[in-house]
Amino acid sequence: MIRSRRLLDIKDLKVSRAGVIELDGVSLTLDAGEALVILGEGSSGKDALLRILGNFSERGQEATGTLQFGNGEARPAHKRGRPNIRIAYLASARVAPLNPYASVVSQLTRIVALGLSVPGASAREDLRIALERFATAPPFAALSKKPGELRDDELAWAMLAAAVAQTPDLLIADHAFSGLTPTAVAALAGALTDAQKRQGFALAYFAEALQTAAHLRCRMIVLRRGKVIEEGDFEKLAGGQSHAYTRTLFKALPRLSAAAALRGNTRGEPLLQVQGLDLSAHRKKRASARDAISFELRRGAALALVGEEGSGRHALVRALLGLQRFAHGRVVLDQVDMGILSAAMTSRLRRRIAFVTGSDAALDPRMTLWDTVDEPLRAHLRLPRDMIAGYRETALKRVGLASHDAKRAVATLSGFDKRRLQVARAIVSAPFLCVIDEPLRGLDAFAQSIMIELLTELRKQEGPAFLLITADMRVAQALADDAMIFKQGKLVERGPLTEILRAAKDDETKRLLAAAAPRRTMELQAVVELASAVTESPKPKVPLSVSPDELDPPILLDEPIADDVSPGEERENAVTESPG
Amino acid sequence: MNPALPAVTGAQSLRTTLRVLGWTGLGLIAVAVSLSDFLASAPPDAAAIGPLLTPPSESFKFGTDILGRNMLSETLHGLSASVRLAVPAALIALLFGTLFGSVAARLPVLVSLTLRWLLGILAALPALLLAILIIALTARGWASLAAGLSAAPLAFVRGFDRASVQARAVHSEYARATGISSATLLRRDLVYEFSGTLSASAARALAAVTIILSTASFLGFGAEPPHRDLGLMIAAAKTYYLHAWWTAAFPALTLMILILFARLAAGLDEGERP
Repeated sequence: MIRSRRLLDIKDLKVSRAGVIELDGVSLTLDAGEALVILGEGSSGKDALLRILGNFSERGQEATGTLQFGNGEARPAHKRGRPNIRIAYLASARVAPLNPYASVVSQLTRIVALGLSVPGASAREDLRIALERFATAPPFAALSKKPGELRDDELAWAMLAAAVAQTPDLLIADHAFSGLTPTAVAALAGALTDAQKRQGFALAYFAEALQTAAHLRCRMIVLRRGKVIEEGDFEKLAGGQSHAYTRTLFKALPRLSAAAALRGNTRGEPLLQVQGLDLSAHRKKRASARDAISFELRRGAALALVGEEGSGRHALVRALLGLQRFAHGRVVLDQVDMGILSAAMTSRLRRRIAFVTGSDAALDPRMTLWDTVDEPLRAHLRLPRDMIAGYRETALKRVGLASHDAKRAVATLSGFDKRRLQVARAIVSAPFLCVIDEPLRGLDAFAQSIMIELLTELRKQEGPAFLLITADMRVAQALADDAMIFKQGKLVERGPLTEILRAAKDDETKRLLAAAAPRRTMELQAVVELASAVTESPKPKVPLSVSPDELDPPILLDEPIADDVSPGEERENAVTESPG
Repeated sequence: MNPALPAVTGAQSLRTTLRVLGWTGLGLIAVAVSLSDFLASAPPDAAAIGPLLTPPSESFKFGTDILGRNMLSETLHGLSASVRLAVPAALIALLFGTLFGSVAARLPVLVSLTLRWLLGILAALPALLLAILIIALTARGWASLAAGLSAAPLAFVRGFDRASVQARAVHSEYARATGISSATLLRRDLVYEFSGTLSASAARALAAVTIILSTASFLGFGAEPPHRDLGLMIAAAKTYYLHAWWTAAFPALTLMILILFARLAAGLDEGERP
């Protein structure tokens, strides 16, 4: 039984740095065993709070207010001092917190040993026990690799184990799970909550978006421009009885709902036709029909390729765009067979393809802002200067970057600005196909909601087909009409998203859905039932494998071309085995 | 202050200060070179201006040498000769080295790798040997060209490696995936990489070719006697510098200052490291 006692008491904290006020009178308390999510954008001042809590001071920083850990003395915030409670720090795997040249286990062992003041061998054992307690964590042996050789989620598991192994009184998580896939976030947040219940430590989770908060379901404070604008339970804040700003943040966490109507896609002659594409190009023998992929994407349609990292979505897109050779199959883009074109011709065809990716490295960091937007126009078309300026102006206005300095280098832009710049570049190139790859990765909640709006607007105005790569069903639902679910390089399920949300068949799909709708799976079922009752959908719940023709989806569920397999057998293989 | 702009670190501002200092020094040297005929009291190579081998004094600030030449005006003329040889050589190194290297990185893989391999071998040879070899194979009077060409391989390797990092970068792949041609990507390199580092590359090339040229002259392969450069002056002083130090020290000091300013203007960036 843990005595409920005050663990952290911050009173009227004001922090300014180089004349900029970062925190303006923040007071907060945290009891032992309590969890708290501190939510805010990049400029909200949560970084300043993190610095004060972590006892780091920055040059030119001035702080007033008091800080009290446990039952120790309250000390002024500008003084550095050793807290009398044990604090563990959990960093995000995305910011590469570990030395890339040493093994993960040696570095984490040292952290645990320092935290507990015990010898290395004992710390290593503690780390092993903590890691093995997590059911879905990677094996302890995997930690002898270097940080670069582990996936982000594996590294997150290892670091979570190291933090928990220090048996802290207070765990400070610095955007720890941001940028991970929803399934990973769900599992990690579950493990963190369990460990917290078991060990009774207090948790302060600093977050930029709601993805993790939705799993932790605890008290939240919302910071904006250095002030606490909202405090309360996740449920209360999600309920809509909140500050307008908080409501905007929650809008960025779209709820899954099968009630959304199929968006009309009758415009469509086919833009992209794929027949019997076999991604295992390196293999000599022809892959079985199960692995061959066939589908059709019509003009203006939106198809989501959903799956975990390494499930073959990127390989598929690379093959579609002619960037990677494939052994068997046929790809027809805009009525032209990509297989018979020369490299120069496929490059010409790709001019009307745009990318919006979650990778900040997708833009040349040396280029200036205007040059980045102008380049597709200048490289592909011979336009007079004033026309280029006009297109650029319109595009930048639409994404909200028109007021930025034209000569600023891309490297100096923020992540959100870079993302918007990618959209502006896509707008000017008038694409017929937009490849959108994890568009919300690493953005804060406010930026996420704007990003979704921008992309929806792009699709409405320019009318490109969307090929969306994501691991998050919510993103898929917000931006696409149809989905193909991938697992370990294989297509396991496909169809309209409404159908998939209504009745997912494959286990992988169910897993992805559950991760995207934390603790709402039951609710979701209820919503679905209600929705289908209200809209009196005439569509019977036919399993996809039986009669795909009736669904009339924009992706025609063509069968893979395979001579040696009869259509019946192959259909069973190609689509999915029903798990029940 | 915009928080999105990266803060200027102490090291960066120090480097900027040093570069400004270097370019100011090079500017002063350029003024001295262009006015050398007015500043110097005697025409180049004018013997018996004063007594032989007098130490620095009121009338002869740098002393006189064995032929009674005024060392001050000789040093000014020597500096002028050195700079006049080094500037075209640096331009040649820049053109055939850095610029060619940046372009070569974007050529088709086989061609670019072959070029990188060949010039990598040349870059491994000591530049001075290469320069002497070229001078020996060509007519005399081509020392600038020889020094420029012998400094070019290292500059090529440097430019090539910088550009090929960009060619392999993720953003290049995204650009190609949206049909941006290699020519446009090359334009990016030239606009942003080459022109952005042009002044530093030029200063670095100037320092490298000055060293090559003066050493070649010292060994008797560079400048020719009527137009003595600093290297040749030091060579001429080598028989009696032990008891008449000023005959060697002032030209050597001037040469060191010239190279130091060029190095500072390049941001103290070592030419050898890619």
